[in-house]
Order: sequence, then structure tokens, then C-alpha cells
Amino acid sequence: MTDTLTRDKWDRAASTFDLMAGGGAEKRWKTAKQHLFSHMGDGTILFMALGTGLDIPVFPPGKTITAIDISPKMLHCAQPRIAAYDGSINALTMDVHAMDFPDQHFDQIFTSCTFCSVPNPVEGLRAIKRVLKPGGELFMFEHTGSQFFPFKLMMDIMTPLSRKVGPEMNRPTSANVSAAGFEITKIENIYLDVVKTIYARVPSSPPESSRDSPEQAS
Amino acid sequence: MPTGWYFILGDILSGVLAGVVAALCCVYLFDQQWPMFIAMFAAMLVGMVVAMVLALLLLMRFFGAMEVMIPTMLAGMWAGMIVGMRASMSSLATIDACLYGALIGLLTVLFCWLVNSRLQGVTSHD
Repeated sequence: MTDTLTRDKWDRAASTFDLMAGGGAEKRWKTAKQHLFSHMGDGTILFMALGTGLDIPVFPPGKTITAIDISPKMLHCAQPRIAAYDGSINALTMDVHAMDFPDQHFDQIFTSCTFCSVPNPVEGLRAIKRVLKPGGELFMFEHTGSQFFPFKLMMDIMTPLSRKVGPEMNRPTSANVSAAGFEITKIENIYLDVVKTIYARVPSSPPESSRDSPEQAS
Repeated sequence: MPTGWYFILGDILSGVLAGVVAALCCVYLFDQQWPMFIAMFAAMLVGMVVAMVLALLLLMRFFGAMEVMIPTMLAGMWAGMIVGMRASMSSLATIDACLYGALIGLLTVLFCWLVNSRLQGVTSHD
């Protein structure tokens, strides 16, 4: 069932999203995102939370990508960028917690500033693990909480406010990736220990602990 | 330090502006009738919120997201805290509050550049 509170929040943000978050951030992050998205292969690709499509200009050309977002208004704003892409993007309105895709469907999943906003991040990551093939790869460009003072203190204080208008600022996303059962292969800091790229994959065979108690991690 | 003059100057402008605006708000909100510790804590929160709004509505669209949000909020936090504390101890002229804010904003930007130079590219868990 779609999370209507989250959908409505992002629907409200859609019309001003590019104005507030588009220009400066995309200029800053262009090189890092280009590098991350250069890992897009020829298999089945899912892009999570396409938003207004700010990432599309840095996608490598010629790919066939399925993209989802919870907000239909965000996807409406993304249409010109989808149309301009030199490849194929099939954009669908869908909640990460209630994806219609069959199990083990995708070879690769990409996220970009997604898991700061997914209401139940570990559950969301488990959902994308479900639709990834064994050995499938997860590539994330995310901002997370910091482990260093004074950044951690400030982000902890401000998160109750920031989540009203958009993302949470203190998410332990790489720990969440591990908790969801992924095997992290690389983490690289882009800015402080806050903006980072996370490379992970679904273990080819479930770890012993998962086989023993599949509901344990949370 | 970021690559390119646009972002270097943008970082400095963002930090200084956030510090000055937070300081201005706090010098008008707090005076000697406030107990110092309460003023310091309340001004810290005011400074952070003011800086966050400034970053969201104005600065992020030009100069980046977290690269703007974090230094400006830190500048707002420290500028608010120090100006709020000073204003509760003795009268503080507006121009002096602005100078405090600008200096704190600049120092905050330099601090963030320094920490970033240590952390950027490093593999870590959050």
C-alpha cells in the first residue's frame, strides 16, 4: 500500500524542487555521480526515486532503465528530461515499500539521495534486495548522518525540522545497508563523512545468520 | 576546499551571510534581561534555524546542498550562541554583532574545508 503521507509531501515539493535543490548541488556532485552511474551495465537496471530527473543528464547514454518514484507530480516534472535522454527510461509511480516487480528481477539498482527520505529505510532496502538478483549490485549516492562533532550534534538537532519539508539529515545509511543484508564492497566520502557513495551487492548465497533467522535484522 | 572559484567564493559568501544574519536576529532578540545560559542555548537554536531557512530558500540553489547546509547551519549555531551570550551579558552594538557573525561564518567555512580535506575520499561507515 502506498505511503500517502510521503507521496503528498513530495507532490507538494515537486513544483519548487529544482529551484531549491537543482543547480548548485548538481554542479557540485556531477563528477561523483557520473563516476557512480558509469557502472550501469547492459543488464536490467532500476533507478530508485527518480524525482524530477535531475540525475538523468549524467546517466551514460544508451541504457534501458526502469525508474520509480512515489510522487506522480515529481515524475511529471521529470518528463522533459526523460524525453531528452539518449536511451530508454520507463518511469513508474511506485512506493519502494510496495514494489510490483517480481523477486530477483534486476541486475543493478541505483539510488541518488533516496534513503534520506524513505520512511522505513531498512525495510525499503530489504524491498530492493528482494528485487535484485543474487549477486546483483546496489550503487548509492546518499547523504547520511555524521559521526563527528559538531556535525553530528547539529544534524541530530535539525532532523526533526528538516523531515517536515524533505529529507532526514542523520540517517545511518551504510549501517542500514548492512542491516538489510547487503554486502558492502566500498564506501567513498564525497563531502565530509556526510555525502558518500556506497557500493554493495546481494550475497550470492545467504549468510549463515540469515538462513538461521531471516527476520532478525532491523 | 572546493574546486573552482565559483564554489570557493560561494562557500565563503554562504558562511559569512549565514553568520551575519543569525547574529543580527540574535542581537535583536536577546538582551540583558535574559539569563546568560538560556540566552546562549536559545540563540544557538535560533541561529541554526535562521541559517537553515536561508540555505534552503536562497543559497542551496546556487552553491550546493550539504556543502552549503552544513557550514551555514554551523555558522548560524555558533554565531547565534556567541552573540546571544554577549547580548545577555552587556549591550552589544549591531555592527559588532555583524562582525562577530562574519568572523564566525568565515572560521566555520575554513573549519569545514579543513575537516573535509581529511575525510574526502576516505572509506568509512556512518
